[in-house]
Amino acid sequence: MKRVIMGNHAVSYGVRASDVKVISAYPITPQTQVVELLSEMCANGEIEAKFIMVESEHSAMTACVGASAAGVRTFTATSSQGLLLMHEILHWAVGARLPIVLANINRAVGPPWSIWTDQNDSLSQRDVGWLQIYCESNQETQDTIVQAFKIAETVKLPVMLVLDAFFLSHTFEIVDILEAEQVRKFLPPYVADRQVDITESHSFGNLASPDGYMELRYMIQKAMEDSRSVVRDVDEEFGKHFGRSYGLVKPYRCEDAETILVTSGTVASTTRAVIDKMRDEGIKIGALKIRVFRPFPFEEVFDVLSKAKKVAVIDRNISFGHHGIFFQEVKSALYGRTDIPIIGYIAGLGGRDVTPGVIREIASRAIGDTKPEREINWIGVKE
Amino acid sequence: MGEKIVFKSYKEMPIRPMSVADMTWNLTGSWRNVRPYYDFKVSPCRAGCPAGEDIQKYIFLLLENREEEAWRTIIETNPMPSVTGRVCFHPCMEKCTRKDFDQALNIPGIERAIGDMGLENRRWMKKASKSRKEKVAVVGGGPAGLSCAFFLARRGYAVTLFEAERALGGVLRWGIPEYRLPNALLDDVIAQIVESGPITVKTGTALGDEIDLASLEKDFDAVFLGFGLSESRALGIDGEETNGVESGLGFLMKVNSGEKVAPGKRVAVIGGGNTAMDVARCALRSGSDVSVVYRRTRHEMPAINDEIEEAEAEGIKFRFLAAPKEIIAKGGKLSRVVFQEMELGEPDESGRRRPVPIEGKTFELELDRMFTAIGEAADLGPIEGSIESEWNLMVTGDGSCKTSREGVYAGGDVVTGAASVVEAIAAGRKAAEEIDRAFTKEAEPAAEEQKIIGIEDINTAYFGHSTRNLLPRIDHAEAIAGFSEIHGGFDSNRLRGEAERCFSCGVCNFCDNCWIFCPDVAIMRREDEYEVDYDFCKGCLVCVVECPRNCISTREEGK
Repeated sequence: MKRVIMGNHAVSYGVRASDVKVISAYPITPQTQVVELLSEMCANGEIEAKFIMVESEHSAMTACVGASAAGVRTFTATSSQGLLLMHEILHWAVGARLPIVLANINRAVGPPWSIWTDQNDSLSQRDVGWLQIYCESNQETQDTIVQAFKIAETVKLPVMLVLDAFFLSHTFEIVDILEAEQVRKFLPPYVADRQVDITESHSFGNLASPDGYMELRYMIQKAMEDSRSVVRDVDEEFGKHFGRSYGLVKPYRCEDAETILVTSGTVASTTRAVIDKMRDEGIKIGALKIRVFRPFPFEEVFDVLSKAKKVAVIDRNISFGHHGIFFQEVKSALYGRTDIPIIGYIAGLGGRDVTPGVIREIASRAIGDTKPEREINWIGVKE
Repeated sequence: MGEKIVFKSYKEMPIRPMSVADMTWNLTGSWRNVRPYYDFKVSPCRAGCPAGEDIQKYIFLLLENREEEAWRTIIETNPMPSVTGRVCFHPCMEKCTRKDFDQALNIPGIERAIGDMGLENRRWMKKASKSRKEKVAVVGGGPAGLSCAFFLARRGYAVTLFEAERALGGVLRWGIPEYRLPNALLDDVIAQIVESGPITVKTGTALGDEIDLASLEKDFDAVFLGFGLSESRALGIDGEETNGVESGLGFLMKVNSGEKVAPGKRVAVIGGGNTAMDVARCALRSGSDVSVVYRRTRHEMPAINDEIEEAEAEGIKFRFLAAPKEIIAKGGKLSRVVFQEMELGEPDESGRRRPVPIEGKTFELELDRMFTAIGEAADLGPIEGSIESEWNLMVTGDGSCKTSREGVYAGGDVVTGAASVVEAIAAGRKAAEEIDRAFTKEAEPAAEEQKIIGIEDINTAYFGHSTRNLLPRIDHAEAIAGFSEIHGGFDSNRLRGEAERCFSCGVCNFCDNCWIFCPDVAIMRREDEYEVDYDFCKGCLVCVVECPRNCISTREEGK
C-alpha cells in the first residue's frame, strides 16, 4: 500500500515490518516522531514489542544492549546530543557483537544550540565500529531499516541509519509501505547465536588480557570488511523481493563525466537536478552519492571516480583541523592509484540550505579551478 | 578452577567477549561487604490500632482477591470489623504514612467492607468446638465481653456470657444510635460471634441481682468482668431532680429501643463527648432544636471529630465555655437554666485546660428538656469489698487484665473509664489470652522490638498522589429526617481504588522491584517470598533503595 508519510514515519514503518521485539528510546527533536509512532504501534498491538521508556539516551542504548544480548531483535532512534550521550554504549554494542539497529536523524551539535541538520553527530561516531548507511528518500529509509536488520544479524555488528533532519525527517513523500507478512520471507524472525541465560552462568564483557584483546578487535575489523559483500547481497536480495535496490554508492551520469561531485544524504537529490541542467548545457559532469559510509566502499568509489578528470566532494560536516570527512575518505580511496585532483567543499552546516545555486557554484568553481589554492573551501561563509 | 585455556588462533575464540567456562567458580558474593536481608517492619497503622489489627495484611489480601483470608486476618484480633469499621475513632488513620504524602487511607471504609463480606458469607466463620475442660464466665455483653467470649471460644473454652439487659451489645446497642450502627447489623454481628463456638448466653441476668461473684467463682474456673459504665454522672447542682432534666444515656437507651420519644422543642445537651453528640443528634431527629453546651472549647471536646462535624452540619448549635449553674422549674417542670460562663485556666491532670468560672457572667436558656452527658460511671456495687477498685474503676495489675482476686479478670470501660469500642475489644482479647495461659501454663510470647515505618522510610518516587475515597452518604436533610444509617459502604471499584492507595509500609507485597532491579540476578523469586542469593549478591544495595516500602535491611559483613 502506498501512503504519503514523513521521513521519520518511514523509519517507524520499516521497524513495524521487521518483527522487532524491544524498542527503547528517548525522544529528541528531530527524531521524536519516529518513537512517537512506534510507541503507538506498540500500544495498539501493531507491533508486538516491549517499548522500554528510559530517562536518557545512554539508558536507551543500554536497554537495547541488554535486550539484544538476551537474544531479541532490538531498535532505537536518536539524534545529535542523544547519539553523543550513547557514545560509550555504542562501543559496547560493537564489542559485544550485538545486531542492534539505530536510526540517527542528523542534527548539528551544540553549542550553539541547533536543531537543524548536519552530519557531525553521526560522523563523530565514525570509529566505534557501527555500520553507517546514509539515506536520501523516505522509501529508501523504510527499505534500509529492513535491510539493516538482515545485515546486522548476518555480520553480528550494529547498524546505524542516518537521515538529514527536516530535509528528510520531516518531508512527506510517497512510500510503498512494507507489511510484516511480506518481509518475513526476506527477514525471518531473529534467532540469536548466543543468548544470556541465567541458568548457564558466563561472564559477559569480561576482562580480556593483552593476550586476547587484539584478536577480538581483529574479528570486528574482519566482520566489517566482510560486511561489504553482505550489504551488497542483502540489497540485491531485497531488490528481488521488492523491486528496489540502492547499492553501496549511486553514480549518476558519471560514464563520460570529466568532473564528478561526491555527495551524501538529501544533497544528492538536489545535485542530480543540477547535473541534468549542466548536462543540458553540454558540461560533462556527473555525481556520486555515497550511501554506505561504513564499511567504506573503496572499490566502488575508485571505479567511478578514477575515470574522471576532477573530483569535488561536498561535505555537510567538518573535522576541525583536517577536512570534510567524506573528503578524507574519498581521498584515501584514490590515494596512490591516481593523481586526479580532489577538492573539498564545506556547505550547509547547521541546516543552512544547500540549494541548486550552491551546488552550481561548487560545480563551477571545481571546473574552473585547474590548480586550486586550497584543498578545503567553505561555501557561503560571510568572510 | 580447571586448566588455563590457551587459544592458538582467533578462530578458536568466541566472537564476543564472554567466558568460555561456567562462572560458578567465581562466586562474586565474596566481594560483598554489606549484606541486604529481608526484614519486614511494622506498619504504623497496625502499631496505632489498639486491637493491633494487621491492616497492611488484610488490605494486601483484599487486593489479591483473597477476601476470606482478609476477613480471617481481622478476626484474629477483632471479632466485629463491621462494627469498628463504622464506629471506631480510627487512630490507624492518624498514623497512616500516607497522611504525610497526601491523605491518610480510608482504613475504616475498607475494614467495614471486609467485615460486611464476613456477614454475607457466614460459612467463613468456622465454628470452634469445646476442647477444654475449663469453663469461663463472662459478665457483660458489650464489646469487651463479646470479644473475651469470642477469643475464649476460639480456644475451645465453654463460655457463659451474662448480660443484665434483655439483649447483648452493651454500649453498641444502647449507646450508639442506629444512624451510626444499625440494630439489624449489630444483631448479625452478635449472632455470628455467639454461633462461633461453645458460648451460652444468659440475658436479663445482672451481677448483684440474678448472679453474684461467689456463685460464679463456684460454677466457673475463671471470671471476666466487662460490664462497662452504666451510670450517668450527675451535674451536682440544685434542681437536678426536676422533671425535664434527664440523663442522656437513658434517653439514648429509649431511642435505641425503638421507643418514640419527643423531648420537646428546646433541648440542651450538657457535655462534649461522644455520648453528648449522640444524644444531641438523636434529639434533633426527634424534632427538637438542640444546643450542646460544653464547659471547655471545641478544641478540648473528647468526642470523635467526625461526629462533631456531622452534628454541626446537621444544624446543632454549640455553646462553648459554659456550664449549668441553676435549674429553674415552673409548675414542677423545667423552665429555664442559668449557665455560668467559663474561661480556660491551667491544664488539669488530663492535660486539657481547666475551665474556670468568670465571676458574675451568666446567661439563661429557656428549655423544655436538658440532657446530661458529662460522663458515665461504673456501678461497682456488686463487687464492692471483693475486688480492689480506685476512683470507682476496677484495678488491674501492670498492663494485665488480672484483678486483685485470683481467677477474676476485668477489662473495658469498667477498668479504663470511658474509652472506646476498639480498646474494649482489645482488652477482651487480652483477658482471653491471659485466662488461656493461666490454664495451659504457656509462657507469654516475648514482645518483639520492631521498627515502625514513617514517611522517611518510604521511597515515595514509586507513588502518585491521590485523594482518599469517601464512603457514599445520604445528605444532611435526609439524615436528620430519621434514623437511617448515614454512610453506605464502598462499591467494589472504590474499595479496590482505596486499597490500592496503601503503601504496604514495611511489609512486602511482592511488587518485584528488588527482583527487577538486582543487577546481578541475585534475587530469587519463590512462591511466596524472595530470597537473596548470597553466592552472587555483591552488596550494591540497589534492592534496598528500590524497595518502595522498606522491607530490606542491611548489615555489615563480619559484624
